[in-house]
Amino acid sequence: MDVERIKFERTGGFAGIRLAADFDVSDLPDDLSQTLRELLNALDFPELPARLTNSESVPDSFTYVITVEAGKWHHTVITGDAPENENMQELLELLNRLARKKIKKH
Amino acid sequence: MHNHRHSLECILPEHMLEQIATKGSNAQKQMAMDNISVVYQLRAERAMRASLADLFAPTMPRAADGGKERIVYDVKRGTSLPGTAVRREGDPASADAAVNEAYDGSGVTYDLYKEVYGRNSINNNAMRLDSSVHYRTGYDNAFWDGKQMVYGDGDENLPAEDRLFNRFTIAIDIIGHELTHGVTQFEAKLVYSQQPGALNEHMSDVFGSLVKQYQSRQTAAEADWIIGAGLFTPNVNGVGIRTMKAPGSAYDDPVLGKDPQPAHMKEYVSTPSDNGGVHINSGIPNHAFYRAAMEIGGYAWEKAGMIWYVTLRDKLGENSNFQQCADFTHQTAGELFGSGSLEQQAVKNGWAGVGIAIGGETPEPKGCLEATLRFLGAA
Repeated sequence: MDVERIKFERTGGFAGIRLAADFDVSDLPDDLSQTLRELLNALDFPELPARLTNSESVPDSFTYVITVEAGKWHHTVITGDAPENENMQELLELLNRLARKKIKKH
Repeated sequence: MHNHRHSLECILPEHMLEQIATKGSNAQKQMAMDNISVVYQLRAERAMRASLADLFAPTMPRAADGGKERIVYDVKRGTSLPGTAVRREGDPASADAAVNEAYDGSGVTYDLYKEVYGRNSINNNAMRLDSSVHYRTGYDNAFWDGKQMVYGDGDENLPAEDRLFNRFTIAIDIIGHELTHGVTQFEAKLVYSQQPGALNEHMSDVFGSLVKQYQSRQTAAEADWIIGAGLFTPNVNGVGIRTMKAPGSAYDDPVLGKDPQPAHMKEYVSTPSDNGGVHINSGIPNHAFYRAAMEIGGYAWEKAGMIWYVTLRDKLGENSNFQQCADFTHQTAGELFGSGSLEQQAVKNGWAGVGIAIGGETPEPKGCLEATLRFLGAA
């Protein structure tokens, strides 16, 4: 999988404020795009189930929607905070930071 | 896929399905029948989950003396809950502000429920109040995990000029909000989706706000009715996360956007996000409570709070909607203060102010009917 685009959305949380970003991986600094690719590989992202954790039963928890695109192929995963999965945590933290930076630019 | 569940409940309310199943064309009938069985499946699943929760309830840690016992843990930016115990009941104050805020805030919340509503902790059986602070890094959130409160430090990992959130223990109403999710879990068990989910959020905002008013001994007129005042850094153009007084006006910021809360049924937001907008549409019942409390006057926790508490404890069920909440609070006000009393009138007026008539039929939120018809191929 040679990831080209990532769409990221975070909803819910106590504040209920939506955070979203849609970016080309090639626009990212090399070290970040490298980290991103490594995390997606470590997670075996294309094989992840569409729904990882159920956030409906945890009041005020976040829900994340991550879509990875490569050419015509794409895969979407919905997850909560996934505290048991270190790679997913790292991915979520990285995407959060990128989304915040992206908003800042506008 | 699981997220279909959320939209399903909006798109296909049961009464509408039943209507279509009896009156629609044959093709429509078949689709409605198929979906009714899904709804029943969901309901069975929920009932099972609820009974499991009951099963686990007795294992909740209990206060040693059967009263108020708090423990604050430090997760040290990790994820393993609860973390290391750093302040226990009766311990002197810590050097860590987040620890003290979690300790004091859960204490005032316990006191309001005990002194005013006669409730002994979250489960009314002396459940110990556990809080964990410093959860993860850059975690701009607080939540109730079914057993305890969990607080992040905001976006402390960003440069000062980029920070939007302070630590989540900073506002006592957030603490009351999280603990009330626990109370709801043991009482009405409102499903965290669509209108029941927005009512779950509403109850947490109501009692979170009342904890703050109780702590400061403020009357309804003196209170600011803001949820999460002080949570935003000065970089944000906003007074707080939500406002019960004027939903939709808490913030309007170039980075965060505008407070999306409606204050009236005609602005109800149909969305699959946020479990069907539970943090958005809570603005409607929140504002009804504010209006009722203002009309009653005095300390809001005494009368309006009591009406809402008894409704949460004795009347609401896991699938209750806004209309039922309105009807139940009106009924409760009559039982507590007399039929036709000023208090009961205030409750009626409060709901009327957000477009919900007592005993009426709330119009289906806009978008739902359309989506249903589209789904059934009729439009």
